[in-house]
Amino acid sequence: MNSEDDRTTLALMLTQVSTGDRNAFEEIYRRTSVKLFGVCLRILPVRQEAEEALQEAYISVWQRASSFDAARGSAMTWLITLTRNRAIDRLRAKGKIVTAPVELAEELPDDAPDATSLIEASQDERRLAHCMSTLDGGDAGLIRRAFFEGLTYPDLAARASAPLGTIKSRIRRALLKLRECLS
Amino acid sequence: MSDTMLPEDDELLAAELAFGLIDGEEKRVAEERLATDRNFAAAHSRWQDYAAAMFHDAGEAPRPSVWSAIEARLPANDLGRAMVLRSTLRWWQGGAAAACAAALVLGMVAVQKPERVFVRVPVAQAPIAPMVAVLTGKQGLVTVSFDPASGRMTSAASGLALGDHVPELWVIPADGKPRSMGVMNAAAPGWGKVPTQAAAALSAGVTLAVSVEPVGGSPTGLPTGPVILTGKMAATS
Repeated sequence: MNSEDDRTTLALMLTQVSTGDRNAFEEIYRRTSVKLFGVCLRILPVRQEAEEALQEAYISVWQRASSFDAARGSAMTWLITLTRNRAIDRLRAKGKIVTAPVELAEELPDDAPDATSLIEASQDERRLAHCMSTLDGGDAGLIRRAFFEGLTYPDLAARASAPLGTIKSRIRRALLKLRECLS
Repeated sequence: MSDTMLPEDDELLAAELAFGLIDGEEKRVAEERLATDRNFAAAHSRWQDYAAAMFHDAGEAPRPSVWSAIEARLPANDLGRAMVLRSTLRWWQGGAAAACAAALVLGMVAVQKPERVFVRVPVAQAPIAPMVAVLTGKQGLVTVSFDPASGRMTSAASGLALGDHVPELWVIPADGKPRSMGVMNAAAPGWGKVPTQAAAALSAGVTLAVSVEPVGGSPTGLPTGPVILTGKMAATS
């Protein structure tokens, strides 16, 4: 994810995987498994579960590589999205999605990026982290909960014991602010 | 990617789809629209990039047994058992032997059935042992330790005097292709995350080497100067 070259190569390798090229698949694994395992661990902190989600994700990559369209987005985003979805599937399949109540006022401090991790982040990632930090803490927390725990508007409303309309308008306002900050 | 702003509601819908905030019918309709509305698809793609960037602090090397398990779940092909064995061993020689053995047994089962077979392989519960290497050779001494759990390494050199050049550390797995682990500071110990490609190649028994490179590291991505030190990774337990 460091350069335009890397992105192009990854996209090319996905095309090769769609034709059944195992070497290209191995190379994709080599290049992306550290990041994608991090994605799994963020959603499923138990290592064994994260490892199984990672397996599911790469099997999906193998099966669905042909649905990747380089004209419609970056390969790394496609891989991260797919991996996040597999991990969320597993989280939901456990039947007991984290039941911690959603806190509207403040977010957990350990969600905030620390300086060390940002050094390794790409420019996109740094920008997003910066813009997220400009949001009201509670709103940023809602977006994070939704994304990392697979919670929809109604899920968030139930966990926050707040009306659906309130949750929706808070998140929508935050998303527009995010868009403004990022563009 | 076009940066034209959509009407606010459409922009929000694209964001809601990317962040997984909507479900059911609403989600289905939005997904259908991706195929027909280019501006909407472009906005969604942009929001997906933002959403993916939420994982800015994510990154950790999975254990080698995870790859063995994935490889064993790929559909059987006509390469034959020997190829399956060789390709698995080429990658992770010596690492997580028990997990490999389990994966290989299942891999053979998969090969015997020619139709599309997906075999589920539970990931083995082997502990993640840190690895260490001592590199010796023409000049000085370099020690390296790598923690697969965090993907980080520490390295230290002593007795290296390279003038206006720098030592660069490489991992050379069984395929013979060196992957850079980064440029070292000859005067002070260093620590940091191992680049993805190099981390994936690190396992017990793999060769590490230090080459002499211009300041900033090899311009080509492969060693350009002489290799002065080598050593092998060893698991600590």
